[in-house]
Amino acid sequence: MNISLYKIQKLIGRFLFGLYCSFSYVFLLSPILVVIGTSLNGPTKNVEASFKFPPESLSLYWYTQIPEGQIEALALSFALATVASLCGCLLGVPAALGLVRSNVPGKALISAIFRAPLQIPAIVTGIAFLQLFYWIGDVTGFYWHGTLVGLAIGHIFIATPYVVGTVTAILQRFDTRLEEAAVIHGATPRRAFFRVTLPVIMPGVYAGALYAFMVSFSDVPVAIFLSAPGFVTYPVEIFFALENDFEPSLMASATLVIITCLFLLLLVQKVIGLDTLLKVGGSRGAS
Amino acid sequence: MWVRWWILLIPPLVVGFTLVAASQFIFLRVSFFQDLGLGRIGDEVVIENYVRFLTDGFYLKILWVTVKTSALAALSTLILGFPVAYLIARMRSSWSMILLAGIVVSTFVTIVIKVYGLIVIFSADGLFNQTMLKLGLFDRPFSVFGNETGVVIGLMHFTLGFGVLLLYSIIQTIPSSLESAAQIHGASRWRVYYRVIFPLSLPGVTAMLLMVFNMCMGAFTSAALLGGGRVFTLPVMIQRIVMMDIKYSMGATIAAVLLFSVIVINVLSIYLLRRLRAAHLVMV
Repeated sequence: MNISLYKIQKLIGRFLFGLYCSFSYVFLLSPILVVIGTSLNGPTKNVEASFKFPPESLSLYWYTQIPEGQIEALALSFALATVASLCGCLLGVPAALGLVRSNVPGKALISAIFRAPLQIPAIVTGIAFLQLFYWIGDVTGFYWHGTLVGLAIGHIFIATPYVVGTVTAILQRFDTRLEEAAVIHGATPRRAFFRVTLPVIMPGVYAGALYAFMVSFSDVPVAIFLSAPGFVTYPVEIFFALENDFEPSLMASATLVIITCLFLLLLVQKVIGLDTLLKVGGSRGAS
Repeated sequence: MWVRWWILLIPPLVVGFTLVAASQFIFLRVSFFQDLGLGRIGDEVVIENYVRFLTDGFYLKILWVTVKTSALAALSTLILGFPVAYLIARMRSSWSMILLAGIVVSTFVTIVIKVYGLIVIFSADGLFNQTMLKLGLFDRPFSVFGNETGVVIGLMHFTLGFGVLLLYSIIQTIPSSLESAAQIHGASRWRVYYRVIFPLSLPGVTAMLLMVFNMCMGAFTSAALLGGGRVFTLPVMIQRIVMMDIKYSMGATIAAVLLFSVIVINVLSIYLLRRLRAAHLVMV
């Protein structure tokens, strides 16, 4: 009698706990699922009916109606995120190696400088770069805002700290005796680095590259200042679309972005595994 | 080893330092000059802008709204996130990876897209409001746009995923054997939470609260979209003042105040995390 009562109590407790946790998941994931669902609405007479969820009829109609402006914005965002991610690695990997391996004085200060872009609110970064580009333009005659160069500089700035963070996390756990063993067995330091160290830190580089890509791909506050009319990234494009006209085709292009994110995540899961991604990226999540 | 590693530091350090110093210097310097309108700046050094910020009720109210919504969002992130993080950390099946993937997906999708979802969910004839009206819980449709509740919800969409991941790494460092021990000695489930898990995770939770609070203070996109031009936080105000009123000096002044408060809180949380790491209470 007592035992069964205890069991029932335990079951109810578990059920309530599960319910509570699923509420958090509903909160987090429902907007994303609703966007995907709404994008499948068919063509309707008035615009409001196209925002019904659950959709009344399933069709890919709005996917054929994505305007050229959004596709161009998507292409720009993708190119920009790729550049930011690659350059972030080119700057971030040596920075992490130097930070962990060397014994220069003032390491805390140096790492604070590398981390600075995370500390500065992105909106401040955006305006500060705009002002910097105005100043450079006044001095040299070349205005960088509203160009790919300007946008890329801004995004490399906010994305690099993620690469530094992930590679540092891996390097700190790296056993340098592995390298020593390679050298003792006749490898040149250069060969030891490329054949032993680099393969070990590659998961950190991939994770950092992914975080950098995602930060650039979802950024609004920096790009809002550095893009120009007709030359905007996708998040900024749909940010302004929210204030002006509101088209059902936005749901379709947003779904394409969600699918891209899922695909990238799946790729990362295959290459380095989700647990590695989280273990090295604890310093700050993306977006 | 045999390599001069410090040479590798030079290029990224030069690039990083130049970009930080140059952009911040050029922008924040402006806060000490007068706005002459139309983006022109006076050439006399004044502290007028700061005096105005600290005495004008308009700006102080924005500061207060920013702090209030950020604090509420940070607390709600903890309340909604902690049980999930606990569940995932204590789960022994392969489901934990799937649950984690769900969290990561939500952090990777840009907040602007999520706002589109929120619009559909909270539209007057949408699923949420119709259900609530039918159940009689609300007497009129609830909108997430243009009120502080909406801003808090938006901020939480920005921070909850991150918060869960951070709490997950904190809870993982608490050995589950401690919970078993308490239970074997007769503690109820609730008492285990209250007397074992809560005290042990308290330092990590404090650090997490500070970090999330900070993210919210600087959050532009979610606050701007859900504020709907009626609720202003510091980042939203900076963008409006610079882009619409073209008052660079006042914008720079607000940015300086924001930057100062954010850095103070950040230094505090980094210091706290370092203490925790030394005590092996967190794995970040």
